[in-house]
Amino acid sequence: MKVGKNSFKLNQPVYIKSGYTIVGEKENDGNFGGNFDLVLSDDLWGEKSYEKAECKMHREAISGAIAKAKLERDDVDIMLAGDLLNEITASSLSARNFPTPFLGLYNACSTFSESVILGSILIDGGFADIVTCSTSSHFSSAERQYRFPLELGNQRTPTAQWTITGAGCSVLCRKKPKKEDGIQKTDQNVEDMCEDDRKLVEDTGNKHIFYEKTHVAKVVEGTFGRVIDLGMDDESNMGAAMAPACANTIMRHLEDFGRTPDCYDAIFTGDLGRHGKELLEFILAREGILLPDTYMDCGASYFKAEQRTYQGGSGAGCVNTVFNGYILNKIENGTLNKILVVPTGALLSKDTPLQKETIPGISHAFVVESEKYDDVTEPEQTEQKSKLRNRFGKKNREIK
Amino acid sequence: MISREDYQAHVKAVQPKSPMFRSLLASFIVGGIICCIGEGISDIIKLISPEMAKEDVGSWTSISMIFLGAFLTAIGVYDKIGHFAGAGSIVPITGFANSIVSPAMEYNREGVFYGICSKMFAIAGPIIVFGTVGSVLVGVIGLFI
Repeated sequence: MKVGKNSFKLNQPVYIKSGYTIVGEKENDGNFGGNFDLVLSDDLWGEKSYEKAECKMHREAISGAIAKAKLERDDVDIMLAGDLLNEITASSLSARNFPTPFLGLYNACSTFSESVILGSILIDGGFADIVTCSTSSHFSSAERQYRFPLELGNQRTPTAQWTITGAGCSVLCRKKPKKEDGIQKTDQNVEDMCEDDRKLVEDTGNKHIFYEKTHVAKVVEGTFGRVIDLGMDDESNMGAAMAPACANTIMRHLEDFGRTPDCYDAIFTGDLGRHGKELLEFILAREGILLPDTYMDCGASYFKAEQRTYQGGSGAGCVNTVFNGYILNKIENGTLNKILVVPTGALLSKDTPLQKETIPGISHAFVVESEKYDDVTEPEQTEQKSKLRNRFGKKNREIK
Repeated sequence: MISREDYQAHVKAVQPKSPMFRSLLASFIVGGIICCIGEGISDIIKLISPEMAKEDVGSWTSISMIFLGAFLTAIGVYDKIGHFAGAGSIVPITGFANSIVSPAMEYNREGVFYGICSKMFAIAGPIIVFGTVGSVLVGVIGLFI
């Protein structure tokens, strides 16, 4: 159902049955470490080229998500996928391994939200029951395509971002999933745990962490993004090129639904980076919109300062791996109830800046809510959960 | 929403700048070290064969430096030097070797012909073109002096 000028509300919620993520080692060493399903120690993953490795990551992410949802490959009705390689080859070449119709998408780094929005609409309209939404990016294949050879001894500018080596996939479905077993995290070393887990172990002294999946995530609303160009022409400053598009989408989203940013437990933007995040806050502040403390930019928060990535992460795999890893866990254990996800993309090829074209940005937004599983009674671990929730707000402020 | 001009002015004002002093210092030191290594090689060649002509000593020094640049690129060290030194390691002849060997390594997966051979000069191409054109111009001017 159309809402306002550019937004929609689904007639029935579309559930996110599972999310699966694969990242490289550097990504797992960052702030979201410990939230991913598979971490690669070799970023070639036994393949002969980085493009082949990205393709394998994409394929395995889709397979992983389907397996995690306890489905068979035949059960999927439509695959929606995209990536950053020329002619989206990582997606299309991985799709040949599945007996499923394939729709290739490209909206640069915001392809993930495009796929989730389209997937939800396809399910809501009755055109499909189960849809996979996947994107991927790889640092080495992106460097080669958009910038210079890896071994070239040049310097990165301070506005540069680091393309995430990662692939992720969400499985959307019409039927509300049944309650599954929670995630038992007992066999990990304390050092390998993500920050939340580690603190919990330190607080409670109990090494057995059990995340009970009390909630299921569902997509309920969304806002389509416009292509916004404010004349940015520096291809090494993508944050500045994408921030206006992101601001535009957020403003129209809030206007269409008559909301304020406080209506959400958290707002996640895509890969604006630290500089782009400041610019977004600047543009919105001029319009009288103040983003709350729980606002997080996935790119800016991805890496730790000592990893020297300047502005943080970017790429089609950035928001995807954060969403399917970190955010989905938070929704499924009831820490977050209603969030706005606004991935952002810069629309350029290697040639357009050389032909003196400016770089426009695009950004689609979707709203994810949590819904309790039908057979879940009042959760027992309220104390643990409230601790987590407090920590979430605090952590966001700290990462900033 | 914010106007185009306002936004561009704001971005220009607040965007992070390169640390000028640190970059210059790093490139000065590393560039200087590379040149010292070159001088050292030249001195060693003179020691080994004192009767060698001055031009030949220069050629052998350049060849040695190009080999060093290519070798350090191949073992994955030169890009790390470049991240630190910037122009200090790009301007010397070792940087020229790096700019040819790095695309050759990168594109060897596309095969010898369309990969290595055709992409090898993707970055060094302009240097070669300007070097050739410049030498022709200087040669023509030299005819009349």
